[in-house]
Amino acid sequence: MTDELPPTPEPSIFERMRTRLTPDGVPSDDRGRMRMVVDSLILHLHPTKIPDRTLRWTYTWGLGGLAAVLMMVLALTGVVLLNNYTPAAPQAYLDILELNSNVWFGELMRNLHHWSANLLIIVAVLHLIRVFITGAYRPPRELNWLLGMLMLILVLASNFTGYLLPWDQLAYWAITVGTSIISYLPIIGNWLTRLILGGPEVGPNTLLNFYSMHIALIPLAIFGIMSYHFWRVRKDGGLSIPKSLDESESGAEIKLERLTTIPNLVQKELIYAIAWVAALLIFAMLVPAPLESIANPDLSPNPAKAPWYFMGLQEMLLHFHPLVGAILIPGLVILGIFLLPFFDLNPRNVGVYFRSRRGRALTLLAAGIALIATPAWVLLDEYLLDWTGWLPSWPSLISNGLIPLLVITIPLILLDDWVRKSFQADTEERVLFIATFIFTAFIILTITGIFFRGPGMALYLPWNMPTH
Amino acid sequence: MTETRSHRLEILIGTIATGLIVLALGLYILFEPARVQSAGQDILHVQLDDAMSLYAENCAVCHGLQGEGIGSIPPLDNPALRTMTADDLFKTISRGRFNTAMPAWSQSDGGPLSDYQVNEMVQLVQFGDWNATKDRVVNLGLAPLVPFTTEPDPALFEQIGSLPDGAILQTAIKIFAAECVSCHGADGLGTKIAPALNDPLIREKTAEELNRTVTLGRAGTLMAGWNNVLAPEEISAMVTLIQRWNEIPLGTIPAPNVPIATTTESIAKGSDLFIANCSRCHGPTGQGTPRAPALNVKSVLTTTSDQALLQIITNGVPGTAMPAWGNRMADADLQAIVGFIRQWEATAPEVAQPTVGVGGPPWRQAATQTVKAALDWRVLLGLTILLATSFSLVSIGYTELVKK
Repeated sequence: MTDELPPTPEPSIFERMRTRLTPDGVPSDDRGRMRMVVDSLILHLHPTKIPDRTLRWTYTWGLGGLAAVLMMVLALTGVVLLNNYTPAAPQAYLDILELNSNVWFGELMRNLHHWSANLLIIVAVLHLIRVFITGAYRPPRELNWLLGMLMLILVLASNFTGYLLPWDQLAYWAITVGTSIISYLPIIGNWLTRLILGGPEVGPNTLLNFYSMHIALIPLAIFGIMSYHFWRVRKDGGLSIPKSLDESESGAEIKLERLTTIPNLVQKELIYAIAWVAALLIFAMLVPAPLESIANPDLSPNPAKAPWYFMGLQEMLLHFHPLVGAILIPGLVILGIFLLPFFDLNPRNVGVYFRSRRGRALTLLAAGIALIATPAWVLLDEYLLDWTGWLPSWPSLISNGLIPLLVITIPLILLDDWVRKSFQADTEERVLFIATFIFTAFIILTITGIFFRGPGMALYLPWNMPTH
Repeated sequence: MTETRSHRLEILIGTIATGLIVLALGLYILFEPARVQSAGQDILHVQLDDAMSLYAENCAVCHGLQGEGIGSIPPLDNPALRTMTADDLFKTISRGRFNTAMPAWSQSDGGPLSDYQVNEMVQLVQFGDWNATKDRVVNLGLAPLVPFTTEPDPALFEQIGSLPDGAILQTAIKIFAAECVSCHGADGLGTKIAPALNDPLIREKTAEELNRTVTLGRAGTLMAGWNNVLAPEEISAMVTLIQRWNEIPLGTIPAPNVPIATTTESIAKGSDLFIANCSRCHGPTGQGTPRAPALNVKSVLTTTSDQALLQIITNGVPGTAMPAWGNRMADADLQAIVGFIRQWEATAPEVAQPTVGVGGPPWRQAATQTVKAALDWRVLLGLTILLATSFSLVSIGYTELVKK
C-alpha cells in the first residue's frame, strides 16, 4: 500500500533561481508560448491585436514613440547628471566645468541630455502636427488632444527651466529675456515674474526655483500625464484610422487586417528606439553642448536672445506692442489649439493625411502664401512701416498693436473668405488652411529670430553677422 | 512576401544600430582620457583669457603692462610667485596685503572680483603668458599712459624755491613726481583711478584730515597708507603742497611723452576706425584733402607726439572743422587711431599730395557697397529657393483646387 515514491532530487540553487524568474516555468509547447505572450506586461500598454494600417511608418512616423524614448533618455541622463550638480549660483557653473574636464563620460551625458531635450521639442511639435493633419483629435480623442497640448507646454517649461542650470552667459541671458516676455501679462505679469524668478532679476533664487521645477515638479507631471495619455490612446480605440479609404474612391468600408502586437508592433518599436538611441549617441559624441563663460549680470551680450523655441515670440515683440505680440496673439493661438476638437466635429476622414484632396491643396496653398508673405512683412516692418512715427499722438497699444494686427488679419480673413466661396471649402478644410498659414508664419518668424537677428536685434544676413 | 522582406530589413537595421552603439561606446572610452585632459586645458585657456582682461582692467595700472611691476610695486612675471600655492595666491589677491598698496579684491572683502574671478587671476599668475597679456592690455586701451615717475620742469621748480617755505614745496613736488603722479596725474589733476589733488575742494580740508589720509590711506580704495614709505615730515610737506597747490604754476609736474603701445590688432582696428571716421576729410591714406590737412607726412608726424595726437583727436581743434572725438569713442579706439597714424611715420613722404575731388557724396559710396553686399550669391540662392518653393506650393495647390 505504502509504495514509496522515488525521492525526487532536490533542485540546485541555480535551478530554483531560474524557475522563480519565470514563475510559470519556461513553456515547452506552442500553447504555453502563446499564453506567455498573452500574459506579457506589454499588453497592459498595447492591445493584443492592432490594425495592419496603423503599423505603417509613413502614417505616424513613430513620433509619439520617439517622444517617449527621448523622455526615457532624458530621465536616465538627468539622474546621472544630478550626481555632479549643485544648484548654487557660481558653483553650478564650476560643476559643469568639472563634469567636462574631470568626469569620464560626463560631457557625453550632458551632450545626450542637451540634444535629446532639444530634439524632444521638435518631435513633440511634429507629433502635434501629425495628429492635427490626420484629424486624430476628433471625438472620441478630444481629451487626449488636450493632454498632449498640456504635455507640450510642460516639455517647453522643462527645457526652459533646464536652460538656466549650467549658469553660463547663454543660460543667464536667455532666461532673462524669456522671463521678461512673461512680465508683459497684464495685471499679474510683474508679480508672476517675481514669483518665478524668486526676486526682481535672475539670481541664485531663480536657479534653485528652476532646479526644483526641472528635476521634480515638471518630470512628475509629465510622467503622470504621459501614462494617462498612453492609456487614453488604447481606450480611444488605438490609433486613428479612416472609416472609408478616401472620398475619391468608392467609399466602401476597408477590410482591416489585424496583426498581433507581439511581435509585429513590439519589434518595430524596439528597433526604432535602438536606432534613434544609436543616432543620438553618435551625434552627442561628435557635437558638444554649448557652454559659454560664467554668468555675468553686468555684461549683457548683444543681441540677448531667448531660447531658440521662443525666438518666434521674441520676433513678434519687434513687430507688435508687447501686449499684442507676446500675450494676445500667442494666447489666442494656444486657446485655439486647445479648443480645436470642440469646433471641428466632423468625424469624416479621420486618419487620412490632409483629410481630403481639397484639404491637401489648401494646405500647400497656405504654406506657399505664408512662405512669401511672412518674410515680406518682416522686411516691410523693418524698413518701411513706422506706425508709432506716423501716428505719434495715438497710444502705442493702438498704433503699434491693434493696427498692425488688423493689417495682417484682414488679408487672412479675405483669403479664408475666398477659399470658402471659390472652392466650397468646409469648416475642417478652412481650419487646416488657417492653421497651416499661422504655423508656417510662426516657423519663419522663429528662423528669422534665430538666424537673421544681430546686434540691437537688427536684421543681418547670417554670414554677415558681426561677431562683437 | 513583402512582409518578410520588410521584417528582415527591420532586423538588419536593429542589428546594425546595436552594433553601432557598442562600437561607438567602445571607441569613445578609448579617447575619453585624452578628451578629459584636453577639456581641462581648454577651460584653463578660457579662464586665462578672462584673467587677462581682468588684469588689464584692474591690475595693469600698478603692476605694469605685462606684469613687470612699476616702481615699488612688485613684478608678477616672477618664477617665485609661480611656486606659491594657489591657496596663498588666492588669499593675497582676495584679502590684499596689509601695509602695502595692494587692496582686497574679493567681493566678500569689499572689492570688485568674485571668487571665480580671483581664481582666474591666480591661474594667470601661475600659468599666464605675459606677452599675450601685454597685447590684451594695449588692445583694451588700458595701458598705463603715465609712468610711475616723472621729472619736475627745472625752470618752474627753481621759481618755486623763491616762494615762502619754498624748500618744503620743492621736497613735496619731488616726492609727488616720484610716488604719486602715476595715480593722481600730472600737476595733481587726477586720473581715472585717483581723484585730483590740485582742487579747491581738497584745499579746503584741514591739515589734520589730509595728514591722516596720507598716513593711513583710505579704506576701500587704492589709496594706501604711506607711513612706512614716507617720514612724518615728508608727509606734512605733502599736506602743505596739497593745501597750497594754487600757488604752483601748471606744468611743474608735466606728463612726459609716453609713446602709445600698439599691437597688430590695435593697428588693424585703428585702420578701420580711420577709414570709417577720418578718411572723408583726411583722405583714405591720410594724404589730406582740401577739407583737412595731410597727416601722412613727415613734417606732422615728427613734430607731434602720441600724447599730442591723442589730445587733438580727443578734444578737437577749436575754430576748425576738426571735431572732438573723445565723447564718441572709447579710449581704446582713440589710442588705436593714434597708433595707426603713428605707424605711417617710417614711410611718410616729406611733402603730401592731397587728393582732390574723389569719391562723390558719401551716400553714393555707401550705397554701392551695400548693393554689392546684398547681391551676394548666397542671398540670390536663398531668395531663389524661397520664391521657387513658395511658387511651386501655390501653383500645385491652386491647380489641384481648380481641377475639380
